[in-house]
Amino acid sequence: MTGRSWKAELGFLGSYLSDRFTALLAARYFLRLVSKENGNRSLCLNLYDSMIVWLLVCGINEIMKGPWTFYNNNYFFMRGIFVRTGKKLFASALLIVTALSSLTACGSGTSSEGSAGSGSSEQVKIRMIESLTSPARTEVLNQMLTKFEEANPGIDVELISPPLDSADTKIAQMLSSKADVDVLEVRDSTVKQFVTNNWIADLSAYTSKWSGYGTLNTSAQMSANYIENKPYYIPYGLYEKILFYRTDWFKEKGLEAPKTWEDLYQAAKAITDPSKNRYGYSFRGGKGADSYIVDMVRDYNGTNTNPEDAMFLKNGNTIFSTPEAKQALENHLNIYKDGSPKDSVNWGFAEMVEGFEAGITGMLIQDPDVIDVVKQKMGEGTWSTAAIPAGPAGVTHFKVGAAGWGMAAHSEHKDEAWKLIEFLSSPEENEFFTQKIGLIPVHTTASENEFYKTGYYKPYMDMNADTAHYIPVKPETDYKGFGEWRSIIQQDTQAIIFGKLSVDDALKKWDAYWIDQKKQGK
Amino acid sequence: MNNTGVRKPRLSRTAAFILFCLLPALIPVVVLTYFPIFKGIIMAFQNYSLFNLNDIRFIGFDNFKTVLQDPNLPTIMQNTVLWVFISLILQFAIGFVLSLLLYQKFPGRGVYQGLIYYSWAMSGFLIGIIWRWMFNGQIGVINDLLLKMGLISERIGFLSDPKWAMFSVIVANIWYGVAFFAIMLTAAMQSIPEELFEAADMDGANGLQKMLHVIIPYILPTIITTTALRVIWIFNFPDIIYAMTNGGPANSTHILSTFMLDKIVFGGDYGLAGAIGVISIVLLLLYTLFYLFATKASKAGDF
Amino acid sequence: MKRKVISRVKLSSKVIILGIWLLFMVFPLYWMILTSLKPKNDIFKFPLEYLPERISFENYANIFAISKFHVYIGNSLLVSLLSAFIVIIISILSSYVLARFTFRGSRQIMSGFFLTQMIPMFIGFGPLYSIMSQLNLLNKQGSLVLMYSVLLIPFCTLMLKGFFQRIPSSLEEAAMIDGCSRLGGLIRIILPVMKPGISATFIFAFVQNWNELFLAIMFIDREEAKTIPVAMNSFITKFDIDWGAMSAATVLSVIPTMILFALCQRLIVQGLTDGAVKG
Repeated sequence: MTGRSWKAELGFLGSYLSDRFTALLAARYFLRLVSKENGNRSLCLNLYDSMIVWLLVCGINEIMKGPWTFYNNNYFFMRGIFVRTGKKLFASALLIVTALSSLTACGSGTSSEGSAGSGSSEQVKIRMIESLTSPARTEVLNQMLTKFEEANPGIDVELISPPLDSADTKIAQMLSSKADVDVLEVRDSTVKQFVTNNWIADLSAYTSKWSGYGTLNTSAQMSANYIENKPYYIPYGLYEKILFYRTDWFKEKGLEAPKTWEDLYQAAKAITDPSKNRYGYSFRGGKGADSYIVDMVRDYNGTNTNPEDAMFLKNGNTIFSTPEAKQALENHLNIYKDGSPKDSVNWGFAEMVEGFEAGITGMLIQDPDVIDVVKQKMGEGTWSTAAIPAGPAGVTHFKVGAAGWGMAAHSEHKDEAWKLIEFLSSPEENEFFTQKIGLIPVHTTASENEFYKTGYYKPYMDMNADTAHYIPVKPETDYKGFGEWRSIIQQDTQAIIFGKLSVDDALKKWDAYWIDQKKQGK
Repeated sequence: MNNTGVRKPRLSRTAAFILFCLLPALIPVVVLTYFPIFKGIIMAFQNYSLFNLNDIRFIGFDNFKTVLQDPNLPTIMQNTVLWVFISLILQFAIGFVLSLLLYQKFPGRGVYQGLIYYSWAMSGFLIGIIWRWMFNGQIGVINDLLLKMGLISERIGFLSDPKWAMFSVIVANIWYGVAFFAIMLTAAMQSIPEELFEAADMDGANGLQKMLHVIIPYILPTIITTTALRVIWIFNFPDIIYAMTNGGPANSTHILSTFMLDKIVFGGDYGLAGAIGVISIVLLLLYTLFYLFATKASKAGDF
Repeated sequence: MKRKVISRVKLSSKVIILGIWLLFMVFPLYWMILTSLKPKNDIFKFPLEYLPERISFENYANIFAISKFHVYIGNSLLVSLLSAFIVIIISILSSYVLARFTFRGSRQIMSGFFLTQMIPMFIGFGPLYSIMSQLNLLNKQGSLVLMYSVLLIPFCTLMLKGFFQRIPSSLEEAAMIDGCSRLGGLIRIILPVMKPGISATFIFAFVQNWNELFLAIMFIDREEAKTIPVAMNSFITKFDIDWGAMSAATVLSVIPTMILFALCQRLIVQGLTDGAVKG
């Protein structure tokens, strides 16, 4: 380790490079490659050449404006380096960074779009991101956005559709880094996180002036105002589970649509015939299994369950503390053991639906958006829908899920963003969307529509009409541990099935978990 | 070995050339690889979750405690070991046998190689998807074939039964990775000078002896380097498992890298993920040091 | 006599082993192709068909209808090729220097590069995202090209360094005596000799980029900038995996890499033969 300090050396090297060498060498290097002086150049070199020529051509533009934009944007950061390491080194670093960024910037053929768009001054561009993506739904949304753009010539909307699996993380990432996004999909399960981080805007100022707000039905209003009693998003649709079943198989066995969970177990058992690869029930043991177990436990507890705080009974104990809870859990496990494919211990949403569609399972409990999918794949008359089975006391609890559109708190085009949300949430557009996707609409005006009164959607109307037996509960999504809870109960139940945990121990654990949650508060 | 290149007090032409060549590689790697990793490691000591970014603070070793106390950790570690070593051993063994069989020219060898090497050009995600489709418990073709052959009487939940799930993902990984060893070892064997074989023939060596005394010693450096590298790659390779089971059922197929991915993608918890990452790095460093020591690094070839 | 029998047994066992392995390797692809050619409703039909009875291209038509698949193919090609070229150029320079000179820090640089192979990149994803967003590089294919190149520089450098070390340095020294600059010697004399090794490295880089999923999901959300793996990930919807579309996309996305492999296989093996071993 002799010689000058590394700082001196670096500084010196920097000056050397920036003063004479870089430009010269780079030019020579490129010219060598481009010129034809090499007699027998290989295929690879030929390709290199054409790429480099191309790079140069499309890079020149970026290089011209590159350094100064970069410098201005990062002035303070750069100045720190500047002062500390000396002008020369800074200059050479800048050169290299610029070269690199110009090389890469031209990779995106349309990267100039952003700056070009701002040239025509009135045109406002807003970006909207969805999370429950599927190619079919994206298509529907695009149709609506086209209509919106026609009605509002000054506004362009760009729809972002990340793959479903990573969409929530992606949205969180974009919001946390204040990326360019104005309107976003907010769901009952994500709204708490978004509000805690101050990522989405309170829409009260807009909803107070919006005529459509008054016609939102109770469930939709409740969902919109779920956090802090402020409208943080406008639901585009409501989710509520119903039972799908194979009428043809039921007829074969002389069965009727199950009224109670016990009926469901018996029906599932009767239908199951592994030799025909036919099973009773699309059991959910994988991701999202939590609500199936919790719903059943609530129903077994009957009217003791507190609808306002539904992880607890009216007497304040948790729903897992009772003997009924044990019955419920055992019934749930029996349905798996005697009436479901072995595979289903790992099934999530997609597999359940696939199992039903593929004619492997005879019953499925799912959201209304499945109706459309099943309709496309299965023949008329082979299946039908029914209300969710009840507990021994004849009571069914159900949760109304919601998803909708919210506004990014950092949006620079809040008024335009609201225009879009308002448009998407208008009774006409909402009806179009919910019918296409198969959701329960959010406006009271829609329930008169024949579409929802007959056919596969009928159980919803029945359930909503009979409030004595069908009790809506407030979701527990606002508890701090909710996210963790979902994986705990799902994994514990799998552990019971694999014989690694006993039913009693599991219930005790869950009981303790919710006592603790209650203490921690929301 | 210090200072052999840069000796003159003024910057020599050579030193300038070295810098010119190295900086385009070094600067981006430092800025866009080491810097984010460094920040990621810092996060391992922070309460850093996308669910609540208002509450980022240093919490010491709490993340590590959480990871180490996770009841699933023993399974995950066991899976990691199974995943890495069973995959590695079978990939290597099959790859070695194949390259021995492919050593001699025969008509159609090129086509054959093309057909068995292509898996190497596919993404882990894609391979996971393909095998997920074939291993499907209900409509999967593997169950169907086994039923047809009369080997089983009831469909096996390859991906839903914890007893089978790890087996299934490892099969997919072997399918993927044999090509790597076959390619590398074939290449290495083809560089064995003919004279060595001629000499062995003169000594009257049979096939096995040739393998033990000529082929293996000659390609040993390649074996050492490729196996060392593969261990690291397989260890840091969540793609197949992510696409096939995503760690399920009941966490029975999680390995450290999928566990970490899970914490990022579904939990948004960068702190915990960072802690798992740091643990992985430490394990791999220990492994590499041990491996290089055990095999005497000097024997290892480059690539 | 006995010899003949033995060699016959040997030959037939060789054929059997190679045959079984071929079946094992090819079947998954065959099955994907078969699935992709089945009409949508036949995919879930029992009993399973092992030979195509009704061939339909509706799945292929479908992926171009429901998504801009031609755009994704173009994007993937652009990003993968461009970044493979960039990384090759950068790595040739750095590996050449690392192979030919020993200087203060050269060992550390090598270890530093090797270390990147060991660190799970996911650890840096969060910070990387904020760096890219501060540099205003999100949502540009350029950012993917940049990141892919950077992530591959260490490995490609290590790989190419091996090849350089096989080539006697007298080669370019001779050229330098003839009046060539060092760089000129490198480009004119060494690179042509290194062609197989460079091709192998290039294909490696291309394939890695072609297949990369996680970074692409993270950095790209514009429809026009998506790559094939991201698009395929979108076929996994809440309801089901669209196996028809998925299998068709799989087949389409495997084709370019298979062609590349088939065309350059001789080069790859030759390159690796030159480079490997001889420790």
